[in-house]
Amino acid sequence: MRIDNAYFTRRKFLNSLLGGWLGAVAASFIAPIVKFVWPPYKEPDEVKLVFADFSDMKPGEVKNFAWGVKPGILKRAADGSFIAMVGVCTHLDCNVTWQPEKRQFFCACHDGYYDEEGKNIQGPPPKPLRRLDVAVEGEDLFVRKPGAGAKA
Amino acid sequence: MRTPRILFWLVTVSLLLGPLAAAAQQAGTPPEAKDKAQVEAAAAPAAPAQEAKPSPAPPAAKKPAAKAEVKRTEPIVPAYTGIKEKTAVIVFFVWLWFAIGVLIYFLRQWIKESDRIYWAKYYEPEESPRKDNPMAPTLGD
Amino acid sequence: MKIKIDMKKFAAWFDDRLALTPIFKYMTHKEVPQHEHSFWYYTGSSILLFLAIQIVTGIMLALYYRPTLEGATASIERIMTELPLGWLVRSVHSWGATFMIAFVLVHLLAIWFTKSYRKPREATWMTGMMLLVVSMMFGFTGYLLPWDDLSLAATKVGTNIPAAIPVVGKWVTQFLRGGDDVTGDTLTRFFIFHVCVMPLILFAILAIHVLLVQKEGMSIPLKDELAKKKVPSLPFWPNFVLREVVIWLVLFGVFMTIALAFAPSLGPTADLMAPAPEGVKPEWYFLFLFQTLKIFPANMGPVTGEFVAVIIIVITVVIIFFLPFIDNKPEGKKGKVFQYLGIIGVIYAIVFSIWSLL
Repeated sequence: MRIDNAYFTRRKFLNSLLGGWLGAVAASFIAPIVKFVWPPYKEPDEVKLVFADFSDMKPGEVKNFAWGVKPGILKRAADGSFIAMVGVCTHLDCNVTWQPEKRQFFCACHDGYYDEEGKNIQGPPPKPLRRLDVAVEGEDLFVRKPGAGAKA
Repeated sequence: MRTPRILFWLVTVSLLLGPLAAAAQQAGTPPEAKDKAQVEAAAAPAAPAQEAKPSPAPPAAKKPAAKAEVKRTEPIVPAYTGIKEKTAVIVFFVWLWFAIGVLIYFLRQWIKESDRIYWAKYYEPEESPRKDNPMAPTLGD
Repeated sequence: MKIKIDMKKFAAWFDDRLALTPIFKYMTHKEVPQHEHSFWYYTGSSILLFLAIQIVTGIMLALYYRPTLEGATASIERIMTELPLGWLVRSVHSWGATFMIAFVLVHLLAIWFTKSYRKPREATWMTGMMLLVVSMMFGFTGYLLPWDDLSLAATKVGTNIPAAIPVVGKWVTQFLRGGDDVTGDTLTRFFIFHVCVMPLILFAILAIHVLLVQKEGMSIPLKDELAKKKVPSLPFWPNFVLREVVIWLVLFGVFMTIALAFAPSLGPTADLMAPAPEGVKPEWYFLFLFQTLKIFPANMGPVTGEFVAVIIIVITVVIIFFLPFIDNKPEGKKGKVFQYLGIIGVIYAIVFSIWSLL
């Protein structure tokens, strides 16, 4: 069908078909490249520790464990239960250190302070230290992401 | 001297087939069965190694290696981790050739058109019968 | 508020400062002759296609590869097993090397047999020969990087060859190896050669080569030139470029098919103390040289057989490098001699390569 003086010509239509196809093919090649270059590094869902290493902690004592590649903090509460936190400052990801005399966590990067429960009390950190769930099952101590659900 | 055309094809074909033959030879030979050093069960890479598509049955210890300290003594031969991955590769292969076919179809149309324009001297109105055309187009329109 | 971008003004801004218009104008005027051998014009740009593939996949691999003795083979293992489609990236890079060097050789033979190196294209030929050497060095340095037993053995042999040259050989070997022996230092050194030093050299020589090709124009067959025949031609843009894209697509399809189907495996970790594994051989493009070295006897008079072989090979390479000046009367009898020498050379390379595999 011939349209006189059309703005969108047959030529433009064919060109856009070709361009569209080229775009689709390019996308199908870019996608795997992107996936390769941005691979997901996920934090572990749970970490299994040997309970014996931590069973003799006194109430108020703080020990470290490995949460993936980040430091984890295990603290025995006054009633004997454990709380676990990720020992990474919520400001800009520096590792925090425990100051036992002052019973607080200190982040050296920008002078951030957290109390012994992990709540941010001073300095730039916007949020408390991230909590993790702890469960003692027989000889193992499991630290899990909160709400990640238990193993059955 | 007109070099016989067959020589060109002999050379090109052998240059392109040579590596294929080498690869087929490599894929066909079983990897060296060496004594396995103690391979500690590695936690991480759950996926076993993948296996080459065309080589049927044979060889390949498909084990991933131990971490760090112990040197790996078994070769890693590519293999698919599951039917899903194999299907994905086949689908990609079909899509690849289909896409190439469509693109070449379009490109041939485009080539024919640009050739036609060239031979009709569309862009050089002085040399064409349309030399008195006041609306001569320029390349890039 | 609508912002309108006027492309013409945008282009004019750049043009005022960079003066690129003459380049574009030239590209639209470049013409490609059409004759019975014009199919071979596609070989040059095919090399560029594979070079681009190598650069992209090379960067992707280098993101995860660790060029140390302890980390090398483990990192490649990780690429092949853990990372999404890592095995495919490695396969593409490995096959890309083969295809690129194959096309470099096809390109060289096409230029040889069409005698396109004759005046005024001597410099193009010489830069091309340099590019051939650089490409083979890429292949050689890359082959060591997986640090598995075969590549270690091949590198030990390969870096030992310059030692046969009398005065400077030992220094060359020490430079390549980072010491007297192949160690972790060699691996790191080869990685830097492969990823930093050789690409810079390649781009510099390639720029000169491509510029020379544009400046001299495309060559026409010798007999047409002698007959001063006016060969019909096509514009480079868009006609020839579109045809090139078709060729690239086909080559790419074949290449991806092979890379998907024949993914390379990774041998056992290299052990500096272990004996050489059976079946040690270099990459296919070095096979004929490998076999040539093997056929010379261990001692020939006062010198080693290896020395004689290396000298012969070096002399041959130098002769080929200066070919345009040696074959300066391509239309005469001398020209015919070089045609036959070319055929003999090809047959020798193929026969010796196959022989070394037996």
